[in-house]
Amino acid sequence: MPEFWQRARMPLVFAVLVLLATVAMISDRNALREGGRELSWFEGLLLDISAPAQEMLAAPADALVEVWDRYIDLLDVRADNQQLVARVAELEEENLQYREALVTSGRLADIARMRKDFELPMLPTQVVGLDVSPWFRAVLLNRGEGDGIRPGNPVMTHNGVVGLVTATSSSAAKAMLLLDRQSAVDGLVQRSRVRGVVRGQGTDRLGFEFVVREADVRRGDVIISSGLDGVYPRGLRIGEVEEVDDPGGRLLQTVTLKPSVAFDRLEQVFVMLRASRTMDLLYQADAPSEQREGVIETAAGASTP
Amino acid sequence: MAVGLLAVVVQGAVASIVRPPWCPDLALLVVLAIGLRWQGFESGLLMVAALGYAADILSGGLRGGHALLRMFVFVSARLAARQLNLVGAFPLATFAAGLFVAYGLAVVGLTQFFTGASLPSEGWLDLLPHALVNALAAPLVSAAVGRLLSWFGDDDEERLVLGVDPGRRTS
Repeated sequence: MPEFWQRARMPLVFAVLVLLATVAMISDRNALREGGRELSWFEGLLLDISAPAQEMLAAPADALVEVWDRYIDLLDVRADNQQLVARVAELEEENLQYREALVTSGRLADIARMRKDFELPMLPTQVVGLDVSPWFRAVLLNRGEGDGIRPGNPVMTHNGVVGLVTATSSSAAKAMLLLDRQSAVDGLVQRSRVRGVVRGQGTDRLGFEFVVREADVRRGDVIISSGLDGVYPRGLRIGEVEEVDDPGGRLLQTVTLKPSVAFDRLEQVFVMLRASRTMDLLYQADAPSEQREGVIETAAGASTP
Repeated sequence: MAVGLLAVVVQGAVASIVRPPWCPDLALLVVLAIGLRWQGFESGLLMVAALGYAADILSGGLRGGHALLRMFVFVSARLAARQLNLVGAFPLATFAAGLFVAYGLAVVGLTQFFTGASLPSEGWLDLLPHALVNALAAPLVSAAVGRLLSWFGDDDEERLVLGVDPGRRTS
């Protein structure tokens, strides 16, 4: 018996560990389908230690990049500035016309009230580390459960959607980027209202899938979130159509998007502090207004450290 | 173990400076070096499984995926070290290049199997530069890990050079 055990020990240990890893993957897949997971204490501890350590390790390089960007690489700044001033003036004029049209139609007050109702607390956080594997696109954020962040919270910048929080510890969180192959968002072409699914490709571009060949999608169209996936609120910018392939004999078009967010320069992001249930209630037309207000207050309370 | 954990943490910081696929996968290189130089099978396997699990926590993949594949890397490296002469930089770099291509394929395959997320054709182009960068880094990381292990008395360089396995029976 001891000799048998001696011989069988190595394959047995290997088989048990392989089995454990497989079970972990299956349970994790199920957890991700339900919107993410909270980490156990030892997993959380590793995340809590990693976030400040990675921040500290990357600090010298970040400082060098900042000096380069702010004080050396300023060749095109004057031209950019002139262009932006002209663009701001153009947009202000356009904005004025829209406001005028809204006032005329009597909807401005309604819209202002609705915006107040739907306002959700946002938490600014720093990206302190990238995915340790080149085959996935995730980032490590320097705030976690202690600041009100929960798995399933959307992450964004002023430019648009960044991704989704998938795991949290007390002072750090892991977010899956839109670029990850496992990421999918229900999207909408802003101009023609054509719907599709924006899917990460593992590269720096996104795919816009399930778009039928007759659908009106053109190069330069802006894609926004539809809000129908119950994760991201409606109207957030996702990207711009870069390429529409001729479908030939196929039923669906192949559409490639350039993301609105510069993922290679991701530094500060905002986490929307709310759970999926909040969004469901907010977007239920028949939900009583007191219930909606309660949800908003709960979410706002979670943002207070 | 501490070096492996440090490599996992440092990896995240390095990736934000040198972007993938040009960033070497330090944590995986440490696992490869452990496979080549660590003496005990069970202890080595448990260690790389734990290191893989740590990588899973800090990565966007499914929990358990890196742990599983790193165990296979450990076993492959261990078997290769017995059958092949991987002492020189060139043979080791060649072996590492092949192993990293296989690892990339396995990660993509596992993710596709469990989540249905496939990799588009452009994504495959990252496989080769990633393997090349890691092949160049493999001899350095292996030597550094070997030096550390010999400091702590768990490795003897002669074992690799002479192909002597102290665990193997002579009769």
